[in-house]
Amino acid sequence: MANDLIVYTVIHQPRRIKLPAQPIPKGAGPEDIERCLFDERMNERYFRKVAKWCYYPATRAFTELVEEGFKLSIGFSVSFLKQAEMWDQELLALFQRLVRHENVELVGVEPYHSFIFLVDLERFIQRMEWASDYLYGLFGKRPVVTDTTEMCMSESIYHALDRAGFKGAVLDGRPWVMGWREATHLYNAGKPLKLLARDYELSDDVGYRFSNRSWSGFPLSADTYAHWLREARGDFVFLAWDYETFGEHHSKDTGIFDFLRWLPAEVRRNGMDFLTPSEAIAKYGDHSYDLPLSAFPSTWAGSGGMEFFLGNSAQQAVFQLMLQCYNTALLTGKPELDDLALWLLQSDNLHLIQWFGRGGSEAEVSAYFTPDEWWELGPGGIISEQQQVYRNFLGALEPYL
Amino acid sequence: MRASQVSPANTEFVVMSFEGPDQYSKAGGLGVRVAELSAALAERGFDTHVMFVGDPNLPAEETVGDGRLHLHRWCQWVSRYYPEGVYQGENEKLYDFNESAPWYVMDKIVRPAAERGRIVAILGEEWHTAEAVSRISDLLYRNGLRKQAVQFWNANNTMSFHRINWGRLTFTNTVTTVSRYMKHIMWGFGCDPLVIPNGIPRRALDPVDESAVASVRATLKGDPLLFKIGRFDPDKRWNMAVETVARLKGMGMRPVLPIRGGIEPHGAEVIGNARALGLTVKEVRADGRSVADCLQALASAGQADVLDLRFFLPDDFVRIMYRAADAVLANSGHEPFGLVGLEVMGAGGIAFTGSTGEDYAIPFENSMVLDTADPGEIAGYVAHLQNHPSEKEEIRLGAARTAATFVWDRVLNNLVSKLEYIARKQGVLAAQEVSPTLSGGRDG
Repeated sequence: MANDLIVYTVIHQPRRIKLPAQPIPKGAGPEDIERCLFDERMNERYFRKVAKWCYYPATRAFTELVEEGFKLSIGFSVSFLKQAEMWDQELLALFQRLVRHENVELVGVEPYHSFIFLVDLERFIQRMEWASDYLYGLFGKRPVVTDTTEMCMSESIYHALDRAGFKGAVLDGRPWVMGWREATHLYNAGKPLKLLARDYELSDDVGYRFSNRSWSGFPLSADTYAHWLREARGDFVFLAWDYETFGEHHSKDTGIFDFLRWLPAEVRRNGMDFLTPSEAIAKYGDHSYDLPLSAFPSTWAGSGGMEFFLGNSAQQAVFQLMLQCYNTALLTGKPELDDLALWLLQSDNLHLIQWFGRGGSEAEVSAYFTPDEWWELGPGGIISEQQQVYRNFLGALEPYL
Repeated sequence: MRASQVSPANTEFVVMSFEGPDQYSKAGGLGVRVAELSAALAERGFDTHVMFVGDPNLPAEETVGDGRLHLHRWCQWVSRYYPEGVYQGENEKLYDFNESAPWYVMDKIVRPAAERGRIVAILGEEWHTAEAVSRISDLLYRNGLRKQAVQFWNANNTMSFHRINWGRLTFTNTVTTVSRYMKHIMWGFGCDPLVIPNGIPRRALDPVDESAVASVRATLKGDPLLFKIGRFDPDKRWNMAVETVARLKGMGMRPVLPIRGGIEPHGAEVIGNARALGLTVKEVRADGRSVADCLQALASAGQADVLDLRFFLPDDFVRIMYRAADAVLANSGHEPFGLVGLEVMGAGGIAFTGSTGEDYAIPFENSMVLDTADPGEIAGYVAHLQNHPSEKEEIRLGAARTAATFVWDRVLNNLVSKLEYIARKQGVLAAQEVSPTLSGGRDG
């Protein structure tokens, strides 16, 4: 039976690109290019909506819980943090208060929620260091355990994170990743960097299935769930969710906040303790197990492989354009343009079009994250306009080459 | 209580257009129309906002006149990359206009007006604003403000009609146009526009300097003296004009045709055609931009059948030419309204118009109206008028009278009446009370 529970949540809001694509004036400066690329009005709208239904109530709930002894680890994309800084200082202060608490551990994530690790590992290391500085500046804490983007992990990503100096990292404990191993132990892949494997079944019971009326576990109560956690075989259970699970993916009227409110007490009643990731590494680090990692990254999205992001022709086209933009921006030697190219590497631009040519539950999840406003363009229009954004950026780089 | 009429006390106007009052924003007649229309609205006492692609080097917001005319120079950040004028970087500007102007209209104009219990009349001009005015309607509707606004969208020509979402536009806006000819064309796009004619400024009726007129006639010695001005566009039927000169020469007359075209390539075809017809063509250039410079240029031009004026023509000089000519050839084959014809009439000139959008033109009363593309038709009418000078004078007088009914102040009456009609239909204005007439009472 598992003795400890580690709860990790990640907060992210995409920096959505502007569709239909805005033509960029010839010779435009970086600031004007930026305003053509990103739909900040839409981003603000979604930010405020999610803040109202999720960030405020969930943060208040977590703050109460950690004061009562619950332990939480939390990762912020800089994409989210910049929006909070721009549009809601009060919310940011609420998060700062939460993160300051001794029962809360700050976890690193790739700052722009990008796939830079698929493109340039050296740069990925720099970006993670930059994110660490950014988080320290905002929260006064530095992450020692880290996530990436969409919990991607591979052999090379592991080595990069180890090189970046992290003590631990997270990955999704899918069967194809774990093989015969259980997700309930601490692992390593040959370097000092420890690996926490997310229990994807137990995590998804809450993250995806909580409000699914056709699920056999519905309705899920805190006591039942705590029992399932305790029944897991191993040292600990590592749960990871989108922060937006609370109030956004599952609205308040599903009972998600009541579930959250009662979960810590039920976990304790079942004899489990809470740990932060660092505490888990400290406790179990001396006997971590070997976990060979694949060259192909795993992810917590979809069925656990990169096909969720690169599996259809539209995604492959956008990814090619991402590479062109990144490398061409580097050629300009202008940091502001390079920064824009990093934003355009944001994984959401691939996530949002996973539905193209597909059906089923994964496509439904992808379509859920596609902004409602985009559907006016029709599926084909979304695909072509999205690519046009990248082409426009490439055109805008020309005068700088 | 709802008002029953539109007045400066309860209504403000928003005129949306790509072209506008700045020199940067004037590419054709639309800029002039917007400048004149908005000025006339402000002069009548309406708070009037003009949102247009303004000069990037002028203030973004400016209030002019007596404080009622508010200029909003839009797309300035885009225009800074495109110094050549309003239509350079057109698509970039269009995107920005569509994206940002509707929010501004709602947040900064309609909402505050609604809070003061005022109505906002939004007038969109040309295809460039069709999307923006549709979005404004959607935004106002979503925000509970649609009933505070009356929205008109106006077509001054058929340009880029294929880029308009007509279903959406006609659902969200009342479509207007400038002539019955345009109305008939637009039936084909599934809409039945209201017709509100174009206008001319009151100064277009000012007396013309008769000594300058006499000087032009004496200098050019045309018998008859013709004149034509406009873009070198086949729709303007330039070839018909030069062929008319050849016909008149063939009839034993000594016509002279000064022309002022644009930079369009069709000009080369027109000049080539004139030469092929055996006409002599001379380019004329001026040393300055004043009326005196123009008159001097004509004086030193020498003799030719066609004088190709390759210099800037100030408005006063153009009006002198309108007045001096025996016939101003505004003979377009497709003219949504034909403002030039009306301007000719305002100067007391004799306009030879086509017979499409020129609703104001009544043949042999205030102008000569051409039913065909046959240069012989022009030549015949010119010869007739040369032989009947008194008829010519009657037409000049009739022309001036007609033009006076098209000054902006008069056109505004028409515009306001139609706004009121639509506003009552929308329930924005209360139904009009009708006083019983003396003879029509129930006891009569």
